[in-house]
Amino acid sequence: MIVAERLVKEFRLAERKPGLLGSLSTLLTRRHRVVRAVDDVSFEIPAGTKTAYIGANGAGKSTTIKMLTGIMTPTSGRCTVAGLEPYRNRQRNARTIGVVFGQRSQLWWDLSVPDSFRILRRVYDIPEPVYRRNLDLFRELLDIDALGSTPVRQLSLGQRMRAEIAASLLHDPAVLFWDEPTIGLDMVLKDAVRHLVNRAHRELGTTVVLTSHDIADIAAICDSALVVDHGRVVHQGTLKDLLRTADHRSVVFDHRDGTAAGTVRARIETGLPGVRATPDDGGRIRVDYPAGRYTSRQVLTFLLDHFDLADWYAPEPGLEDVLRRIYGRARVPGGTPDGTGRTPDGAA
Amino acid sequence: MTRTLTRYLRLAWFLGGVGLHRLAAYRTDFVLGAGAFLVRVGIQTAVVGLVFRHVPAVGGWSYHEVLFLLGFSLLPRGLDHLFTDQLWELGRKLVQRGEFYRYLVRPVDPLFSLLSERFFHPDGLGELVVGAVLVGYAGSELGLSLSPVQWVLAPVLVLCGALLHTSVKLLFASLSFWTVTSMPAMYAANQVSEFSAYPLDIYHPSLKALLTWVLPFAFTAYVPCVYLLSGGTGLLGWLPVVTAGALALALTVWCRGVNRYEMTGS
Repeated sequence: MIVAERLVKEFRLAERKPGLLGSLSTLLTRRHRVVRAVDDVSFEIPAGTKTAYIGANGAGKSTTIKMLTGIMTPTSGRCTVAGLEPYRNRQRNARTIGVVFGQRSQLWWDLSVPDSFRILRRVYDIPEPVYRRNLDLFRELLDIDALGSTPVRQLSLGQRMRAEIAASLLHDPAVLFWDEPTIGLDMVLKDAVRHLVNRAHRELGTTVVLTSHDIADIAAICDSALVVDHGRVVHQGTLKDLLRTADHRSVVFDHRDGTAAGTVRARIETGLPGVRATPDDGGRIRVDYPAGRYTSRQVLTFLLDHFDLADWYAPEPGLEDVLRRIYGRARVPGGTPDGTGRTPDGAA
Repeated sequence: MTRTLTRYLRLAWFLGGVGLHRLAAYRTDFVLGAGAFLVRVGIQTAVVGLVFRHVPAVGGWSYHEVLFLLGFSLLPRGLDHLFTDQLWELGRKLVQRGEFYRYLVRPVDPLFSLLSERFFHPDGLGELVVGAVLVGYAGSELGLSLSPVQWVLAPVLVLCGALLHTSVKLLFASLSFWTVTSMPAMYAANQVSEFSAYPLDIYHPSLKALLTWVLPFAFTAYVPCVYLLSGGTGLLGWLPVVTAGALALALTVWCRGVNRYEMTGS
C-alpha cells in the first residue's frame, strides 16, 4: 500500500552566528548548512496493517509522513501511496488518505465543527449514507455534538483534537496518517479514538500509520512497527518482533523459603553477576537479566536450585523499555540528529 | 473538464454561501470594516474636491472625471477583495506557522482551497457598492453616454483589473514560500496600488512607467477610464496581454512555491 524507495529529504538551514556582529554577517554572507532529515529510507507497508512509526525526536518521522501525504517533495528517491506519488498527485492522493497532525489544525478556523464537516462532505463528495454513518459514530464515540456551534479557534485542545480525528475519518480513507493524534485527550477519549481507528481497520480494512509519544496508543492500535533512527530504518516487522529485540528479560517469582528479601537479592546478584533482583512489596522478587548474557534456562535453573519456588511468571518485555533503548541510542554522544545541538541526556 | 468545472462551480457556490453566513455571524467585524472603509473613501473624495476648488482641471482631468476614476478603481479592487483576501493570511502566517499544509491534503486545487476559505470578504462588498455609486454619480454629472461596445467591454475591464490585483497579490504572497513571511512586500505592493485611483498624468514619468509596466495597476483603472471617458484606446490593446502575463507569472511563482513548501515543526 505504501512504498518508500531510497527516500531522501534534505533541508537547507541558514547558518547563524551568535551575537549582534554574527547577525550582521549573516545578512551579508548567505552560508547554508544541509541537514539530512530522511536519509535513504526504504520500506514497504502492506495494506490493512496498523504500523507505528517509531523514532526519537528528529529521527525524520514527521518529514517522512509529510512526504507520504504529499505535503513535501523528496530531495531524491520516491514514495507511493496506493500506487500514486503523493506530491505529484496531491488531489487524487487526498481522496485516499486521512490526515491528523496533532500540532496543526486542518479545520476552518472561524467556523464551527458541524460547518467544517458540511464543507468536508462537499469537498470529498462523501455519499450521504457514509456521511450519516460516520457522523453517528462520531456522535456516539467522540461526543461531537457537545462541540456545538463554537468556532474551532475557541475550542480547547482536546475538543479540537476530537474534531480533527473525526475530520480525518469522515471520508472513509483507505490510509490514515496520524501524527500525534491523541495530544490533549483524556483517558476516556483516548480509548474512544483507539476504538474508532480499530473499528475502521476491522470494517473497512483501513491502513494506519501512526506516530505517537504515548506508548499506550501504539500498544492499543498497532500490529506492526517501523523504527527509524538518524533518518534510517533500523527495524521493520510486527510489534511482537520488536518486543523480542528487548535486551533484557524478566522473571518474577514467589518463594516459600522465608529468607529475608535482602538475602535473596544478594544471593541472586552474586550467583548471576550482571543480573538485577528487585523485591516488591508483596514479597515477590523480580529478576531482570541481560538477554545476551544468560539464557532463560540458566536463570530458571539457578532460581530452582536456590529457592523453593511457589509461583513464577515471565512478563513480556515492555514496549516502553524497548523504545527507551531506541530513543536512548539515538542520543549517543556526537549524534544530535535533529541539529538542535541538544546534549546527550540518556533515555528519552 | 466540464465535470471538473461544474464541481468547482458548485463548491464555490456552497463556500460562497458559507462566506455570507460568516458575514452575518461576525457582524461587528463587518460594521467596523465597512465604517473604516467609508471613512477612507470619504477622505479621498474630500481631498479631490478640495483640490478642484482651486483648479479647474488636473493633468487635463476635470473634477467629475477624477471622481469617476476614483470610483472605477474601487470596482476591480472590490471584486478581487471579495474572493482573494485569504492571500494576506498566506503572506502573513500560513507558511510561517506551518499551517499551509491543509490545502495540500484536500482533494481540490490548493489555490482554490486557500481562496475559498474566505470568500465574500465584507470589505470587498463595500468597495463594490461605493465604487458603483461614485461611477454612477460622476458618469451622470459628466453626461456620459457609452457606446454599445463600451457597455460590453466595461465589465470585462473590471474583471481584468480584478485579475491584475489578484496576480500582484498572489505573486507577493507566494514569496512567503521562500521568505516564510512576505507581509511587508504585500503591503508595499498594496500601497502602490493606491496610486491607481488617480490620473497617471499627474505623476512623474518614472512612477507612471512603474505603474504601467512593472506593477501594472494603470490597467486596473486609468487605462479603462481613459477608454470609457474619451474613447482613447492608447494602451487598451496591451490590457489583455498584461493581464494574461501577470496572471501567468503569478501562477508560476505560486506553483513553484507550493512545490518547494517545507512544513516547519513537528
